[in-house]
Amino acid sequence: MLAQVNFGTYGRWFPPQLSVHGGDIDYLIDIVHYFMLLLFVAWGSFFVYALFKFRQREGHKASYHLVKGKISKLAEALVIAFEFLVLVAFSMPVWATYKNDPPTSADRVEVRCVGQQFEWLFHYPGPDGKFGPRNASLITTSNPLGLDEAAPDSADDIQLINEFHIPTGRDIYVRITSKDVIHSFSIPTMRVKQDAIPGMEIPVWFKVKEGATSHAMKFEMTRDYGIDELNWYKLRHHVAVDDYRDKSGQVIFAKGNDLGSTYVDGQKRIDQLRAAGVASVKLEPRAPLEVVCAQLCGNSHFKMKAQMIVHTSSEYEEWVKEKSKPQADVEFEGF
Amino acid sequence: MAHTHAAHAQDHSHDHGNEHEHHLPFWRKYIFSVDHKVIGVQYTVTALVFLFIGFSLMMIMRYQLAYPGSPIPVIGQFLGEPIVGKTADGGYVMTGDGYNMFGAMHGTIMVFLGIVPLAVGGFGNFVLPLQIGAPDMAFPRLNMASYWVFLPGGLLMLASFFMTGGAAASGWTMYPPLAVTAANGETMWLLAMVLLITSSLLGSINFIVTTVQLRVPGLSFFRLPFFTWTQLVTAFLLLLAFPPLEAAAVMQLMDRVFDSSFFMPSGLVVSGVMQDQLAGGGSPLLWQHLFWFLAHPEVYVLILPALGIVGDIVANNTRKPLWGYRALVHAVLFVGFMSFIVWAHHMFMTGMGTTISTFFQATTMIISVPSVIILTCLLISLWGASIRFTVPMHFALAFIPMFGIGGLTGLPLGLTAADIHLHDTYYVIGHFHYVVAPGTIFAMFAGIYFWFPKVTGRKMNDLLGKIHFWPSFIAINGVFMPMLFMGMAGVLRRQFDQTEQLHGATVHGLTLMSSWSAWLLGVAQIPFIINFFWSIFAGKKVGENPWEATTLEWSAPSPPPHGNFAGTPVVVCGPYEYSVPGHERDYLMQAGKMEA
Amino acid sequence: MTRMYNGKFGLWLFLTSEVMLFGALFSTYVLLRVGAPPGTWPMYGLTAPQGDQILSVPLATVNTVFLITSSVTMVMAWASLKMNEFAKGRIYLLVTFLLAGGFLVIKYFEYKSKLTHHQVILREAPPGEIASAISSVEVPGAVGKSTLYYVNGHVTEQNDEFIKIIPDAKAGEKAAAAGDGHGHEVKIDQTLVRRSTVWGPQASTYLAIYFTMTGLHGLHVIGGMIVILYLYLTAAGWWKRMPEKLVNRVECTGLYWHFVDLVWIFLFPVLYLL
Repeated sequence: MLAQVNFGTYGRWFPPQLSVHGGDIDYLIDIVHYFMLLLFVAWGSFFVYALFKFRQREGHKASYHLVKGKISKLAEALVIAFEFLVLVAFSMPVWATYKNDPPTSADRVEVRCVGQQFEWLFHYPGPDGKFGPRNASLITTSNPLGLDEAAPDSADDIQLINEFHIPTGRDIYVRITSKDVIHSFSIPTMRVKQDAIPGMEIPVWFKVKEGATSHAMKFEMTRDYGIDELNWYKLRHHVAVDDYRDKSGQVIFAKGNDLGSTYVDGQKRIDQLRAAGVASVKLEPRAPLEVVCAQLCGNSHFKMKAQMIVHTSSEYEEWVKEKSKPQADVEFEGF
Repeated sequence: MAHTHAAHAQDHSHDHGNEHEHHLPFWRKYIFSVDHKVIGVQYTVTALVFLFIGFSLMMIMRYQLAYPGSPIPVIGQFLGEPIVGKTADGGYVMTGDGYNMFGAMHGTIMVFLGIVPLAVGGFGNFVLPLQIGAPDMAFPRLNMASYWVFLPGGLLMLASFFMTGGAAASGWTMYPPLAVTAANGETMWLLAMVLLITSSLLGSINFIVTTVQLRVPGLSFFRLPFFTWTQLVTAFLLLLAFPPLEAAAVMQLMDRVFDSSFFMPSGLVVSGVMQDQLAGGGSPLLWQHLFWFLAHPEVYVLILPALGIVGDIVANNTRKPLWGYRALVHAVLFVGFMSFIVWAHHMFMTGMGTTISTFFQATTMIISVPSVIILTCLLISLWGASIRFTVPMHFALAFIPMFGIGGLTGLPLGLTAADIHLHDTYYVIGHFHYVVAPGTIFAMFAGIYFWFPKVTGRKMNDLLGKIHFWPSFIAINGVFMPMLFMGMAGVLRRQFDQTEQLHGATVHGLTLMSSWSAWLLGVAQIPFIINFFWSIFAGKKVGENPWEATTLEWSAPSPPPHGNFAGTPVVVCGPYEYSVPGHERDYLMQAGKMEA
Repeated sequence: MTRMYNGKFGLWLFLTSEVMLFGALFSTYVLLRVGAPPGTWPMYGLTAPQGDQILSVPLATVNTVFLITSSVTMVMAWASLKMNEFAKGRIYLLVTFLLAGGFLVIKYFEYKSKLTHHQVILREAPPGEIASAISSVEVPGAVGKSTLYYVNGHVTEQNDEFIKIIPDAKAGEKAAAAGDGHGHEVKIDQTLVRRSTVWGPQASTYLAIYFTMTGLHGLHVIGGMIVILYLYLTAAGWWKRMPEKLVNRVECTGLYWHFVDLVWIFLFPVLYLL
């Protein structure tokens, strides 16, 4: 219910929820907040009422004798009972789904994810389903995962930086670790979060709802913004869907461009659009789904994010086939 | 009983030998003093200065958060590298490192240099011996030592800003391997913490021995003011919880300085460089366990003294005894005990299995119960009261719903499944700030307005107090309420630029609201600062008991002389005998008579 | 209030915090040892129990005797003073101090032997001529397993070009015919060397916790010695003015000293025997 409140293009109260089990988490948070609200309103009303009724005034004396506490004891017992119920009936089962039974289906997608300062490295086994062996001593700037290219299993492996491709409707099994410091693999739209701890490999798993592809998300998040609604801070990750021209026909805001790379540039462009008499602008998010880092990992912690591209299952298979071909030049941007 | 008490008090007076107060030179009377009142004031003033510094760091950070990438006006030029970098057009923009430094130091300073020294070192030192009728602490020289280890520790912590590499930038939580590999002031942080922890240890021993041994005749445990009880439990928490962090700090120092691998796993590759010089085999989680083993009881150290202050002030201004005194005492004892077995709820996302997480989830739920009891007792204490809206009561009353929000928002965080979404988001920041800022800090203000007359013999100005209160109350909610919403929207903490992530960008309006409220909050403290200093010299003079209160400190002169009481107070009743039927005055002093 | 005098109560509280401090370190020991990959605890290539491989049990046994005896003499000091036998009490204080000093002297030699012992780790498999002196072990890493080549021994010469080291006998090997229990000197090119350290806290997590725990314990011994010396030197003055106070101070110091002894009684088996 709370998820319906709209805060703008992305956040409703919560971010969009695209996974099969994420809704359970939202539901739990909702229930607990109803409970919290109930308690707060009850306490709060009592509080305000008491402040008014028992304020010091002429002819009114405080009573030395203490009021009997039967109601409060009952209320306290109810509070405890409710908390216990929430714990046992909701939180524990949901946690168990996330932690106890890793998926073993034949069509599950297994990916290794290695965090490093300040990017996410993704390693796919390719069509043969086997990960090539890795060795720390082979790590270089062009081989950040230390993959042993000579081994036969490595031939069809896919290595990506900051790009996470997954299909809808299939179990996604991600094995997470880190090379240097503690990071945290977090996909807000899938309600997934797991610390990436060097020296440990920790799996997470989730499944994307059918139809919740990046393409669909982009479409859903595309809309018109009135000229006065434009705010560079809020819309810096959005790009124009059409060209926008000024009065003389020159393009001032080209299709596929964002408002600017800094606030100052953004303001300039918005002013330009306003001067050109543009009433509204249609924008779409450049990358609607992200994997972000949720544990402080250094001075560029805030920039550590990967684009998550959700395909349909068949699109995903196509992508894997294409990507796993031996590439002539695999370029990495280094650190 | 009276003889034993005198004997215990004698333990200390023999140490003084033949020293008399008026023979002491200035530096021994006011600087290296062994008088708990002087030490209490020293702690208070030092802590307030540190709090001001910590708050200023945050006000600067909030500029970067509100207008990411914009040059910081006016003060940007004074901040220097690496905190700010100069842009092409000559503006000074905060750097990622600078933001992280300010963030880590804001947390550290507020918690370890600000609130604990104020709540325990300041209020505890000054008020506790008075409230139990003692002439001083059990170990006055240890008390002095405790302050003079605290001050260098605090200064060392601040000095790190001026060293090469700047201050620590790995969060107040200092998680390795980041904290070990970072080229910033983490080493200084660790050294300063060793000093601060030592100071705290010396203090806590003193508080416990004093409270147990030096109570005057008639003052049984269940006649102690609630404030004293909270200080006692707090002292136990400090005594037992800090040592593991001290051990951990030493180990992290060794990792940084001697390249040991307590917290460094094998095979680390940092910035492309294999960390060959390390043996490896260590565990980053080891640090987390040791750190949070302290840091969770630490947050109860932050709240318990505040609850004590609010309790005393509520009783005084409702003109009736606190409701559920016994329940309150049992609740704080229970909270103290439970606080040692909840720590791993800070670590739910570290790959914890179902068994351990269930245990900690359960203990976390259980620990919410005594907090609910305490809050409920304070609320019911208002029933049948005659409420005086004095300035201390304004802050004490505001504390109640604010602590309520803080406590309630802890519930979704304590449930592991909900924590998946909320962990390391602004929801956490909103939660704990609600408890500490409009919670504890408001209680600190309440305590300052309340005990100022006892310390100085003058009252603070009421009008200025209310001008301080209302804007502060509104602004502080303006800072932290948006954070709860931002957290639910998924905005993560410790982000130099929240708009870099899509879900952060769209709720930027909430960030703006927090920042402007924070600046307003800063301005709202000006009446307090003016009031504080002006009242020391020109405040209305008052006698022993301006608030018509009952506890023992109000039977001493304002300010109390060395040795505190004219004789030995003898306690004849409980701490909150207000509006007792059959008496003309609506309060009875706890000190029935004064023995020579 | 309790029937204890303030100082004693305060000291007991202090001891509880010390229990938490050393408790944290013992817990750290357990966690590090349980989490150590096979072949890396206590050091690369050695497996627990380490016994004679790293630490000297005989020396530590002597130390244990010293400390336990010093605890006894400490009690005797207090008892003598309590029974009004000032001279005896003072002598017992001195003996306690000297026994503690003996403990520290042995500790010094223990540390020295560690810090003059070396470990060299190579970047890759060693060339044929030195291969026989080099051992190997497989260790896990963030990115996968790797093989580690290393040698423990005493460095005779070290500069920017090479390291000359006399290797220790490998586990299970008989001592070489050189007669000093070690193999022949081996020369290793610096280009092959990944890391060369003494057997200090940086060499392994076992040594790290060993140095930390015994170091911290040692600092506590030194602290105790300072107080005992102070009591010894000022005893006469206190005995004249306030004998009861002296007795109490000796008692409190004794409590602290028993604690220090107790910590060692746990340290000894955990670090040396298990």
